[in-house]
Amino acid sequence: MNAIEIKNLSKQFGSKQAVCGLDMTVPMGAIYGFIGENGSGKSTTEKMICGLLPIGGGSIKLYGKDYTDESVRSKVGVLIESPGCFPGLTVWDNLMLQAANLSVPNAEQEVIKVLKTVRMEGAAGNKYKNCSLGMKQRVGIAMALLGNPKLLVLDEPLNGLDADGMRILREVFLDVVRDGTRTIVISSHLLGELQKVATHYGIIRHGRMIAEMTADELDASCRTYVALQSGDMDRTKQLLFGKFSRVETDAAGDLRVYDATTPEEIVTYLYENGICVTSIRTDKIGLEEYYIDLMKGGKG
Amino acid sequence: MEAHVTFEPISFRKRLKSMLKVDFRRMLRSGLFYILLACALVMPLLMTVMMTMMDGTVSVDPQTGVETVMQGPENTWQNLGTLPGGETMGGMDVFGMCNINMMFMGVCVFVCCFISEDFRSGYAKNLFAVRTKKGEYVISKTLAGVLCGALMLIAYLLGSVLGGAIAGLSFDLHGLTALHLVLCMLAKIFLMPVFVSIFTLISVAAKQKTWLSICGSLGGGMLLFMMVSILTPLASTFFHVVLCLAGGCLFAVGLGAVSKAVLKRTRLV
Repeated sequence: MNAIEIKNLSKQFGSKQAVCGLDMTVPMGAIYGFIGENGSGKSTTEKMICGLLPIGGGSIKLYGKDYTDESVRSKVGVLIESPGCFPGLTVWDNLMLQAANLSVPNAEQEVIKVLKTVRMEGAAGNKYKNCSLGMKQRVGIAMALLGNPKLLVLDEPLNGLDADGMRILREVFLDVVRDGTRTIVISSHLLGELQKVATHYGIIRHGRMIAEMTADELDASCRTYVALQSGDMDRTKQLLFGKFSRVETDAAGDLRVYDATTPEEIVTYLYENGICVTSIRTDKIGLEEYYIDLMKGGKG
Repeated sequence: MEAHVTFEPISFRKRLKSMLKVDFRRMLRSGLFYILLACALVMPLLMTVMMTMMDGTVSVDPQTGVETVMQGPENTWQNLGTLPGGETMGGMDVFGMCNINMMFMGVCVFVCCFISEDFRSGYAKNLFAVRTKKGEYVISKTLAGVLCGALMLIAYLLGSVLGGAIAGLSFDLHGLTALHLVLCMLAKIFLMPVFVSIFTLISVAAKQKTWLSICGSLGGGMLLFMMVSILTPLASTFFHVVLCLAGGCLFAVGLGAVSKAVLKRTRLV
């Protein structure tokens, strides 16, 4: 069963087509990384999934039911744009209100549980407005986790979190999907972080889904390359440009050869031309580079 | 084997109960609610005492030299409406307009702030992500607004009685009975949904723009404000009560449906 099945979804704001014939399939139990540039239609799609925006056309099914079905919607946890807390109330009161909204049985125990999950049990008595950005984000996650949701839709949940906060959230996400029935959709620009947890990806551009794949498929389609350094980088570059079709310099200053070759072949070739290689390794491009390549029109 | 997920439907009663629980809990923790109640209690008290103290004071217009004698209240119940045989629109004193009926406009501050805070804080977004039925939201806000309005009316009545006692005003009902007073208050309380549903509609349309909802509500409320004194006089009978109850229900249902449609057709974030 798919947790989310979207067919031909569209949404227009005035003359701007925000989402245009979008198809999206999120399998149950997946952590779905929803990626796209600013203004590509990610948040609009997420808002439509959560029923916060009327859909322009197409259909959305959540766990096989129409997205307007009350029973399935009561099992959706949301963090979109902001956590949605009352600034004058404490973290505890905000969570208790949300628990009451969701008719959560044993609300107090449930609130304590979610606070522990996001490591916020010590800050329950703090007024929400006095919380730091990272704490607010964690309160938002705690709110979304209340009521044992089957689907979590999280828009930029990693924003404002420190390294420890991100690690905690990674653990939370992996824990949530462990039983195989719960699903998470995460949109984030922190692709390196996303790659650590996502099992599936959807890449959206100009309101259309341009690629949808599993983490394994992404791994297979990410090109390998040979990265090297030598005593004379300028000459090495010249030589490599003459022999290979795609050679680039990365941010660290290493030369990358993307053609199908081996380190041995490159070392031999450079040695024959009087160049001594100081370091060489084979690696794969990550999600971030794959995404940038895709946006530029490449194939990863 | 593929995992299977089942979803249990939630009854209307359960959904409404949870929403009411949240709204009443929020209302009782809101500073604004207590400020409004305090205002409703203190305003008639101060007005009655101060106007009594100023009774008979002569002020002279420096330009025209015309003398004006300040007229204070003579009876405590003037805070609630015009007594039988009392002056009406022709010779209006300050209590002709500034009486308990102001609470019908005062409650708009509570309703507008209460609803706009939902949208400003993002609470509405969290709520509508898990609740598809917008009707319950409207019902819950209307009931919270009506309760606040009713409590403000009662606070104003208490303030008036206290003010009258402090100022030593008469409590004579001029031929009316305590039942008339009770019916008058009941009629006012039952009329409250008319105003609250107007304010709710304007607030859900204005969403997080508090200033717009308050201005719109004051404007919308003013259109019906004059009818309050006609529909809920001090000499109210059961007919007035039934009329106000019917009007309150009709407005709440009709405008509630419009508010629901507004929420359904507009973006919620």
